[in-house]
Amino acid sequence: MNTKGIKLWEENAVPKHRIQWCPGCGDFGVLAALKQALTELEVMPHELLLVGGIGCSGQIRNYLNGNAFHGTHGGALAYGLGAKMANPDLKVICLAGDGDTLAIGVENFVHVCRRDPDMVLLVMNNGVYGLTKGQDSPTAGLGQPDERGSREEHPPMVDALLLALASEATFVAQSFSGDVKHTARMIVEAIQHPGFAFINDFSPCVTYNRFNTYDWFRERVEYVPDDHDPSDRDAAWRLVREFARRGKIPLGVVYRNPRPKRPQRRLPMWEDELSGVDLDPVLAGYR
Amino acid sequence: MGPEGEAVRVNHVKLLVGGVQLRDGVTTVTDILGKIFTRAGLFAVAMEKGYASTIYGAHQFDPMLVTEEPPVSYGDAEVDVLVALDYDSNPDAPEQPNRDTVLRHGGKLRDGGILVYDSSTGEIPTGALEARGIQVFPIPARRIAQAELKREIVKNVVMTGALFRLLQFDSDETYLRQLLEERFLRKGREVVELNLQAARRGRQEVERVLEANGYELPVRLEPRPGRHRAVYISGNECLGLGAIAGGVRFYAGYPITPASSILEFMEQWLPRYGGRALQGQNERESIRAALGAALAGVRSMVGSSGPGISLKVEEFGVSGATETPVIVVDAQRAGPSTGMPTRPEQGDLNLVIGGGHGDFPRIVLAPGTVEECYTLMLEACELSDKYQCPVFFLTDLNLSEGKKTVLEEVFRRPQVVRHGIVREEVRSKPYRRFEITPSGISPRSVPGTPGVVFKASGAEHDEFGFVSIDPRKRAAMMEKRMRKLDTYLREDWKPPQVFGSVRGNPVLVGWGNTRPVLEEARLLLQRRGVPVALVHFTHVFPLHRRKLEALFADAGPVVVVEQNFSGQFADLLQRELRIATRRVNKYNGVPLYPTEVAEAVLQALRREGAVVRIGGDSQPVPVEVGRNEHEGD
Repeated sequence: MNTKGIKLWEENAVPKHRIQWCPGCGDFGVLAALKQALTELEVMPHELLLVGGIGCSGQIRNYLNGNAFHGTHGGALAYGLGAKMANPDLKVICLAGDGDTLAIGVENFVHVCRRDPDMVLLVMNNGVYGLTKGQDSPTAGLGQPDERGSREEHPPMVDALLLALASEATFVAQSFSGDVKHTARMIVEAIQHPGFAFINDFSPCVTYNRFNTYDWFRERVEYVPDDHDPSDRDAAWRLVREFARRGKIPLGVVYRNPRPKRPQRRLPMWEDELSGVDLDPVLAGYR
Repeated sequence: MGPEGEAVRVNHVKLLVGGVQLRDGVTTVTDILGKIFTRAGLFAVAMEKGYASTIYGAHQFDPMLVTEEPPVSYGDAEVDVLVALDYDSNPDAPEQPNRDTVLRHGGKLRDGGILVYDSSTGEIPTGALEARGIQVFPIPARRIAQAELKREIVKNVVMTGALFRLLQFDSDETYLRQLLEERFLRKGREVVELNLQAARRGRQEVERVLEANGYELPVRLEPRPGRHRAVYISGNECLGLGAIAGGVRFYAGYPITPASSILEFMEQWLPRYGGRALQGQNERESIRAALGAALAGVRSMVGSSGPGISLKVEEFGVSGATETPVIVVDAQRAGPSTGMPTRPEQGDLNLVIGGGHGDFPRIVLAPGTVEECYTLMLEACELSDKYQCPVFFLTDLNLSEGKKTVLEEVFRRPQVVRHGIVREEVRSKPYRRFEITPSGISPRSVPGTPGVVFKASGAEHDEFGFVSIDPRKRAAMMEKRMRKLDTYLREDWKPPQVFGSVRGNPVLVGWGNTRPVLEEARLLLQRRGVPVALVHFTHVFPLHRRKLEALFADAGPVVVVEQNFSGQFADLLQRELRIATRRVNKYNGVPLYPTEVAEAVLQALRREGAVVRIGGDSQPVPVEVGRNEHEGD
């Protein structure tokens, strides 16, 4: 492990002893994995934009080095989209929870999947709204005996992977923050993907989700088999359904199929790029 | 000499073109007219848009004032020439065809004016109009287009030709030919000739009626070419140009009347200047993406109308708290809720000065004219960049979509200045994105600047941007942000424009798009011996209390004229300056007109605390327009 590199990610950040997550929170694993991945890719903090969602998970933006933004609940992807459109040289990583992404922010999730900006979304999925003391999120009920769906108050859970596939995402992966090494691997591949990369990371809430515990996940996670063709969307859909039928949880890249893209340039923003532009071509149409 | 010995009026005509929305191409005709009159060196103003929130089938009308010199306003609702493109038959009463334009607007025709209508499905009873000396020209335009020219689409060119003859304009076809060649030559010479033939047929039909009735035309338009360079352009297009000149390179919108045309303009032109325009999947994605682009350092703008602005409110606080600049155009329309999507109102002031939880700095600008849509937008660009907060830009339906002749000298190109952006690492002291400063303005940086990292959050934070609920830090940060408004008032706030002398005189007060009408109302009142002053605001919020108290200190009664129900700006003025206001409000969806404003002001001057509601039932005031209009327009 490159400890000097890892140290870089602790500058310009909230000191470790001030991190406000519960002891054992899955998000610690994500933080460690992020630092590993960024170190491995030799990303510089100044070229990074971390967009945090609202909730425990979004705080991660301040727990490591790099520019960060934090706005409204459900908004992370759209801020990231604008920043990336403005400056394609930035590495944009959106870091949000399952409630933020799949409840109040689902409008952005679906459409940003379609838009395919070259950025990463890592969802720290724990099935609850932890910060507000454990209300159900749209991914609540994973693996539980199913009384859900019988009442409007408790609908069946959203399958984030299938929703991403249905929304034309070009990179869909799943990880478990109890497996930091694999999570780091997924983050590396997501950053390298030339398009929108979605990682659904199971990140246990040790305080408000006593059902989906680390042990619960360890009994059920399985790596995506080597013979899976991630470029085949039908195969990806089948893989997710087949794991669910067996009561298992796939870890790995479920789908990866980059779209051809036209290179984009940073938008003009400095005085010399903006001053004294010639409006004549526009005015000519109104004469 | 015209009828009843009246002199022929040269280069001062008010037209109204009406018809069935989409089918009859009302604005296609008025756009052609506006462009041609502008090329002829005249001034055209078409800013009283009348259309409905449907694609097809509703009645649509577009009044236009044409003058020799730049007019003060679009004038009163009365018209000299009524052009009815609708030709509908009436199956229930074949002898009386449906002619919405004539039925609705016949009352606006002045005595001795001109009515020209499409008589393809029969002539209509116009005895009452003729009794007022109105010259009536039934032109079977659609029948000519279908039967003789075999192309129904040229029926409007038949009517345009007829109208030009009635205005005694372009008799040698110079202007029309040039425009047709620009539009149709690539489709073939024969298309141009077909259209010219259509126009000629319209002229011939007018000649026929002139001869049969011995009419002498009461108006004439004479070209004044080469006097100046000018364009015929809308407010939305001007503010789009202003944004481009002012350095905006990212625009995000969501389809909504009357802001959609900003999105269309930006999609067409921003890429040419290296920028990008995004049609959001919803109103929130639009403003969030704009904030993201602004965060990355690009000047960003969003545009919408009331319902969309309501949806964006949460992000105004994000902009304020994270000190991420954004320009928010609100092309107002009549609310609340869906309201009347195609009707003007000034009802969003409270929304933009108060929308959002908590306190944060914001600046509200409202252009008074199409020209100011350009010049004030240049200011908006600098202000948002300098103060790192939301800057609102309030237009309304008519200012946004209405078009007029604008002299090109208006479009001066500014030097764009980037305010207080940290361009490189300063090793001597750690970079504080939200440094507490006397001006309240902190040094920005953009992501990607080597050695510089910032954390920005809508959660309360310390100078570095790290979340904090420390009471002292919170107080200091709140005060720092709000101090930006003091700096703005000191350095950049523009006092209202004052017309006439305020001292001891009644004062008319207005803001935003009503200025031309208020200027003209003031002139009307002066002519009647009432020495009123006009105080008009474009920098609408915050207000500079001390300067305004001095301005109003020795003023007579203050009458605030607004197009909304409650008098939102009057409330603000009353609150800030602790002065009593009288109010004139109009909220029936019809634009303000100078004569009715003058009448209403006289009425308001009669007693303290007066509220005069133009077009309202409780206190009737003479209204020239709107009487004939049906609901569900």
